[in-house]
Amino acid sequence: MWAYDVMQNALIAGILIGSICGLVSVFVIIRRTAFAAHAISHISITGAAGGVLIGLSAMTGQLIVNIIAGIAMGLMGDKIKKNDMTIGIVLTFFLGLGVYFLFLFQNHSAGGVMSILFGNILAVTQEQIHILLIICAIIIGCFLVIARPLLFASIDPIIAESKNIPIRFLSIVFFIILALTISMACQIVGTMLVFALLVTPGAIAAQLCDGFYKSMLVSVLSANIAIIASLIISYEFNLPTSFCITSLMCLFYFLTYMRNVLVSTPPFITKFIAKKQHN
Amino acid sequence: MIECNNLQIGYSKPINEPFNLTIEKNKWLGIIGENGVGKSTFFKTIIGDLKPLNGNITIDKLDLAKSNKLISYIPQERDINVNDKFSGYTLITLSYNGWNFGIPFIHKSLKQKSLELLELVGAINYMHQPFCTLSGGQKKRIYLAQALINNPSILLLDEPLADLDPNAKQHFVEALQEIHKQQKLTLLIISHDMHEIAMHLDGFIHFKKNKVHYCEELPCIKEAVYVGI
Repeated sequence: MWAYDVMQNALIAGILIGSICGLVSVFVIIRRTAFAAHAISHISITGAAGGVLIGLSAMTGQLIVNIIAGIAMGLMGDKIKKNDMTIGIVLTFFLGLGVYFLFLFQNHSAGGVMSILFGNILAVTQEQIHILLIICAIIIGCFLVIARPLLFASIDPIIAESKNIPIRFLSIVFFIILALTISMACQIVGTMLVFALLVTPGAIAAQLCDGFYKSMLVSVLSANIAIIASLIISYEFNLPTSFCITSLMCLFYFLTYMRNVLVSTPPFITKFIAKKQHN
Repeated sequence: MIECNNLQIGYSKPINEPFNLTIEKNKWLGIIGENGVGKSTFFKTIIGDLKPLNGNITIDKLDLAKSNKLISYIPQERDINVNDKFSGYTLITLSYNGWNFGIPFIHKSLKQKSLELLELVGAINYMHQPFCTLSGGQKKRIYLAQALINNPSILLLDEPLADLDPNAKQHFVEALQEIHKQQKLTLLIISHDMHEIAMHLDGFIHFKKNKVHYCEELPCIKEAVYVGI
């Protein structure tokens, strides 16, 4: 199956997107910005539809709108965690706008928009891989510069502020990174299911690891394993790749969760064992 | 040395009359006063979160903007975002020079220093336990080690004894005594529960009726019911 160009492109795109989503996901979990990430991914629909409507590609439209939304959320700084209501209202407005754009679109081909909605990794072209490579390089470059203060500001925002760390600036940069990542990941799983790659790898790492680098490693590995395995499964059994990715990610999370439940001994069993030993 | 010159603090309106105050190095002072008289606001002004409404503060003759890194602050309320498995040890190591750009690098000497601090505050036994599973008293010791990891010359503690049981309070105060002795730093502590620590303090800063007094002798606060003496 790897002899086909389509599959080779899909594999390269999958590894690039899996790696970046794995990195970003750790911060999404620590910063508790899952809902904001969800909102940006859904705002993508409006960007894609609006972009195509004015003659741009769906990806370009999505990228522009995502970055604008990211900057707006970043400006809220650490308050974003408490602003679910605002995000929800803005999200529904943008979704409604997206629906309107799609309505205007009825007489045109909406293939590009549909691929953004549900994703199609097998449709990734060489040109798109080049764009993905550039976006990956930008994201990794940003992380190499800001990872330390971003992590500190994410873990302990009050102390970070007292040390004059530019919290708002870091928040804006983080949301721009998030917007770029979502724009990339939508190529594979679509805006509807991108959440699986933005939250689940970090959540799996949070279940398993103490420490920043270990969390990063587990998060990146779990995302990549899920994507590569999904490519194989979807090829062999003729299933949608995005469905396989989301299902595998959820399965991985469930397994790690069950592992934690089984490893930690419930208190009543501990008491029972202690009582037995005492007798 | 902390020097306050004609200082007036507050959010929009000044909550006190201008006062001058000099806090010498290596002193351990208690900050007392009723709720809402400006104790925490004073701390926020020292760390630079709030600007003085009038007058100024210098630390070792430096402006607050330049002296910020010399101060560690343990606020009354924390908002720590850690994963389920993140331990106190991880929190401490990631807090080391967290304001520097680049990627976090946990080198050998940082590991060694973290272990020494955890030993000093008496938290070595649960350093690898997930932070979210620790008790209030255990978390406060971890905060103490976290505050010390960047070699501060001034440590500000806002109500560190609140919510602790008598045993935990005693252990915490013992840890503070050890820190003050070994680290040679200026310790300012806000507390409504001074009877646990009054005997160890070098003096008090008393916020009262828009005025701020400094006194070295204990009796001056004996009339104050709100400090638990």
